[in-house]
Amino acid sequence: MNKIDARGLSCPAPVLETKAAVESRHPRRIEVLLDNEPARQNVVRFLESQGYRTWVDLDGELYTVIGTGGDSAPVPEPVATEPVGAGNKIMVMVAADRMGSGDDVLGAKLMFNFIKTLKEMGDELWRLVFVNSGVKLAIDGAGTVADLKRMEDAGLTILVCGTCLDHFDLLERKQVGQTTNMLDIITAMQLADKVINI
Amino acid sequence: MPPGDLDKALCGLNFPTNPNVLVGLSRADDAGVYKVSDDLALIQTVDFFTPVVDDPYWFGQIAAANALSDVYAMGGEPKTALNLVGFPLKQMDISILRQVIQGGIDKAEEAGVVLLGGHSVEDEELKYGMSVTGFIHPDRILTKQGLNVGDRLVLTKPLGTGIVNTAIKGNLASGEITRKVTAIMAALNNTAATVMRAYPVHACTDITGFGLIGHLAEMMRGTGLGLKIILEKLPIIDVALGFASMGMVPGGTHKNRSFLAPMVDMDEGVEPGMQDILYDPQTSGGLCIAVAPTSADGLVDHLQSEGVEHAAVIGEVVDYPAGIIQVV
Repeated sequence: MNKIDARGLSCPAPVLETKAAVESRHPRRIEVLLDNEPARQNVVRFLESQGYRTWVDLDGELYTVIGTGGDSAPVPEPVATEPVGAGNKIMVMVAADRMGSGDDVLGAKLMFNFIKTLKEMGDELWRLVFVNSGVKLAIDGAGTVADLKRMEDAGLTILVCGTCLDHFDLLERKQVGQTTNMLDIITAMQLADKVINI
Repeated sequence: MPPGDLDKALCGLNFPTNPNVLVGLSRADDAGVYKVSDDLALIQTVDFFTPVVDDPYWFGQIAAANALSDVYAMGGEPKTALNLVGFPLKQMDISILRQVIQGGIDKAEEAGVVLLGGHSVEDEELKYGMSVTGFIHPDRILTKQGLNVGDRLVLTKPLGTGIVNTAIKGNLASGEITRKVTAIMAALNNTAATVMRAYPVHACTDITGFGLIGHLAEMMRGTGLGLKIILEKLPIIDVALGFASMGMVPGGTHKNRSFLAPMVDMDEGVEPGMQDILYDPQTSGGLCIAVAPTSADGLVDHLQSEGVEHAAVIGEVVDYPAGIIQVV
């Protein structure tokens, strides 16, 4: 049944529930029960923006919004919405200044390329964390700093382990990212949907 | 709370008075002002709310910027702050609170404000904000009152945060949009407050929960004057109109409209989404500055050159029709 009972809910909950139902089931016909005028306006607008024809039954205080024709040609959304990364937060933890083991010169080159290419993860890249010798990628003179700065300017949160900087005596030389501690790193791991260790 | 409900609670109550109270509850403004000496007055304000963004650190920054804004709106300089925290200990990991408060600390530091302490209670949902104290010279206080006919109205941040935040909740906004609106909400109004000191400013307020129209109505109240707002001049977060037309409109927008619509004269042809933006509750919105007409363009140029990129002249004060906000 594509019936949503949104009575007792205030905006924007009714329109968000309607949206979830439309997206998961793509019903040809949908009925939404509502008990306030603002919710009616929002739900009607949303359904119409998705290509439904709507009408409203008013019975006392109770509105029933009925939308039909939802699976006709999909209507482009009025705003440019990229696929959303909201549910997918990726944390990348870099624990060395080289990638892999075997040849250190190759490892350094690979790491340089890795940082350069990392932005291709797009919006899902949520935290970039440097620990142990990884912090050396964020200090002056490192070839990776320019790319890291660009990512930070674009909104990425970069965390650099303070204990590690201190250990290598590099506290004064950090060029990019926020100095962080183990509690913040663990919290970030907990909040992330995916943690990638390099 | 919506303006109508708050009025019902406060109307008719007798608030204690004192000759040193320069701005008090009898004429509610952005903040209270208490005269300490002939050249120093204290500005005091408090604000807190539930999370407007998912990221706890950014929520902390936004809540702090919002609380500090009332001091800037009075023309003052914030100096000290106290944290206010409600935290659901049973549902959330305490590390989240740590990030919220880190956001508040960082924003306070950016504003040159010291945190002196705070108070926390266990609560059903996370709430955070600050009580802020600022300094101002008693002769330089800016309130919502003081509009002159011909004054231009300058707005310093784009509108639409309530609608865009609703779209974010509905998973409609990209990460880029989320970051953009977060940065707008977390931006301090300090630059705008500093720049406007050099101009003949007659009144100022910040745009928050009552929406643009609600805060304009407060500036207009009791003046016997009217306002004219020019739609095409309004700085707007560009995606807000699209989201509003999809019904991503928070309850507060509808509440503001039902209370305020009688004092607004707007062509019915204005698209509904645009109307919503005018009533949309703003989180940590910009300053609305009433400035003498010959100085308006200079103020806007100066604001933009200092990085307040969205600043714009959005309308003017008119003598007729009184008590009406015309939207043209």
